[in-house]
Amino acid sequence: MLEIKDLRAEVDGKEIIKGLSLTVGPGEVHAIMGPNGSGKSTLAYVLAGREGYEVTGGSVTLDGEDLLAMEPEERAAAGVFLAMQYPVEVPGVANMYFLRQALNAVRKARGEPEVSAAAFMKKLREKAKIVGVKDELLKRDLNFGFSGGEKKRNEILQMAVLEPRYCILDETDSGLDIDALRTVADGVNGLRSANRGIIVITHYQRLLDYIVPDRVHVLVQGQIQRSGSKELALELEAAGYGGMLGPEFTSEPPPAAARA
Amino acid sequence: MAVARRTLEPAPTFARAFGEAHERLPGAALPALADWRRASFTRFAEQGIPTTRVEAWKYTNVARLASAALALAPKATVRLDQVSPHLAGGPPARRLIFVNGHVVPELSHVESLPAGVRVRTLARMIEAEPERVGEVLRQVEDDPRSFTALNAAFAGAGSWIEVEDGVAVEEPLQLLFLTVGQPAPFMSHPRNIVRLGRGAKLRLIESHVGLSEGQSLTNLVAQIDLGPGALLELDRIEQIGGDATHIGKSYVRLAQGAKLAQTVATMGGGLVRNETEVLIEGSGVECLLGGVYLARGKEHVDNLIRVHHAAPGSHSDQFYKGVIDERAHAVFAGKIIVHKDAQKTNAYQKNDNLLLSDDAEIDTKPELEIYADDVKCSHGATAGDLDPVALFYLRSRGLPLAGAKSILTFAFAAEVIERFADETARRLVRAMALARLPGGDSLGELA
Repeated sequence: MLEIKDLRAEVDGKEIIKGLSLTVGPGEVHAIMGPNGSGKSTLAYVLAGREGYEVTGGSVTLDGEDLLAMEPEERAAAGVFLAMQYPVEVPGVANMYFLRQALNAVRKARGEPEVSAAAFMKKLREKAKIVGVKDELLKRDLNFGFSGGEKKRNEILQMAVLEPRYCILDETDSGLDIDALRTVADGVNGLRSANRGIIVITHYQRLLDYIVPDRVHVLVQGQIQRSGSKELALELEAAGYGGMLGPEFTSEPPPAAARA
Repeated sequence: MAVARRTLEPAPTFARAFGEAHERLPGAALPALADWRRASFTRFAEQGIPTTRVEAWKYTNVARLASAALALAPKATVRLDQVSPHLAGGPPARRLIFVNGHVVPELSHVESLPAGVRVRTLARMIEAEPERVGEVLRQVEDDPRSFTALNAAFAGAGSWIEVEDGVAVEEPLQLLFLTVGQPAPFMSHPRNIVRLGRGAKLRLIESHVGLSEGQSLTNLVAQIDLGPGALLELDRIEQIGGDATHIGKSYVRLAQGAKLAQTVATMGGGLVRNETEVLIEGSGVECLLGGVYLARGKEHVDNLIRVHHAAPGSHSDQFYKGVIDERAHAVFAGKIIVHKDAQKTNAYQKNDNLLLSDDAEIDTKPELEIYADDVKCSHGATAGDLDPVALFYLRSRGLPLAGAKSILTFAFAAEVIERFADETARRLVRAMALARLPGGDSLGELA
């Protein structure tokens, strides 16, 4: 169980998450929708433990354990995985080398034996086929010179190999054409299981046609304004944030000067 | 009024060392050579050891050499198992192996090379063709650099490599210079002459390895001459001991259409100073100078480069990357000089540094001096820490902090390491780089 309770977080001294609560149980898929600047990516980074994203209140626990007290690598070992909106290019480190190092680091932290090179390659090729990552990309440097779509697929590949318990997909659909979107969604759906929770963060309803969520949450101005079943996404698509929540939610709050 | 001297007078021990050595140097009986050595020694004594008041030595202090009691290196022996980890070039490679500047014939192998290729020790060439060799040695004596004069005074160690017109040498050639510590401080003055004729091709691997601690000075000079359309791939590996001083200068001349691809890895050293001066004399030249240095502890690594574009339509590219940790100090000074007639020159220079500790220091000075108006030139230098976003990315996938740092540091250096022409040399450098990183042994597969 991933439990977020009354979470508050700021970046550069500015509060972005303003009291957010969300519980994701094993086997559940939750979608978080929200406009630009609503705090979606901040939430994702806070959960993964990125530096500079300071938690000022509330708690996040993973099966009762304090997630916020863990280093990023400890969170990974505990089973949290963030598929990033902008995967980082790391020239000089081969994709498959990195992934094997990561897998073995996670296994080691969990007290499991390391995976042999041969077993790893077999697993990697299997998963790569499912998410549509070409062999050539496995040998190239991590994300280096990858197209937007290739990077997103590679994120899902990492997820498939590391087999986390809780996955957070941060705008995995951005920059994908419809075919890539389908492949990526198939990859994610393949990872749906009774003991894995998934949070899908997205701007658009489109992705949710392919990854059908159990719950949909509307995140605006740092708080979850509404929650509901998958139909809520359709409603939101039709009405817009303003139409659903009122005109004050149409966009970012105006700058202080304009408000005064 | 006393004026602070810019150079220091060498201690009498240098004169004593010269007095003891000069009659035993190769070709000592040849009056012209002996006179030249004596004149060179006088020049050295006059020029003196530079202090940090000399601009080119501002960040590298060699003043203590002036008072060092250095004798010419005695012969020393090494075991095969000490040598073999440093062999590069694979089974077909030919090698000259030197210990403290003295060639070790039983470890060297330069036989059965194709016609038109000559690989000899400098000593043997002096005996065989004293006049011609003397002429070549004198080519750099106009350089008012005391270490070059000192090298000339003791000239005799090193190698002579010559490839005739049109000959492409298949076999990689390795010059392996090993330094073995001795009870007393010592010095050696190798000089390598590399001459490639029109259209000739050669892959040369030059290794300088300190096998054991002990104070020493290696004062190296290289003269590299590439004829029209010649190609030289030069991989240089430096793994200098913590007590050792390694000072070298390469004089490079590139004729029309010649290509030099030089990559230098400096894996630490007490004090390392590499100077490269390139004269591009023709059009269509390609001059690629890559360098990577990793320094830690109290190591000091200094690279100084001058590239002269004296002819139009040539291309040069300097790309140096450094990783400086703990209290180490690195220096980079690179200069591109585009002469008046060198229109359509493309010349680039880049020096990127990773500073891994608050006490680490880099002094970097990229310079352009352009007298032509139709050129493309750029230069740049950076110094920074590891990218926090990349670090977070790796950690978020489960890699522990130290391992993630080492992977990113290695990746940073690898961009230059990949430029090594020879696969075996590249692998050696990768392993050396990993061995210098925390937890590097667990990253073995990167090598």
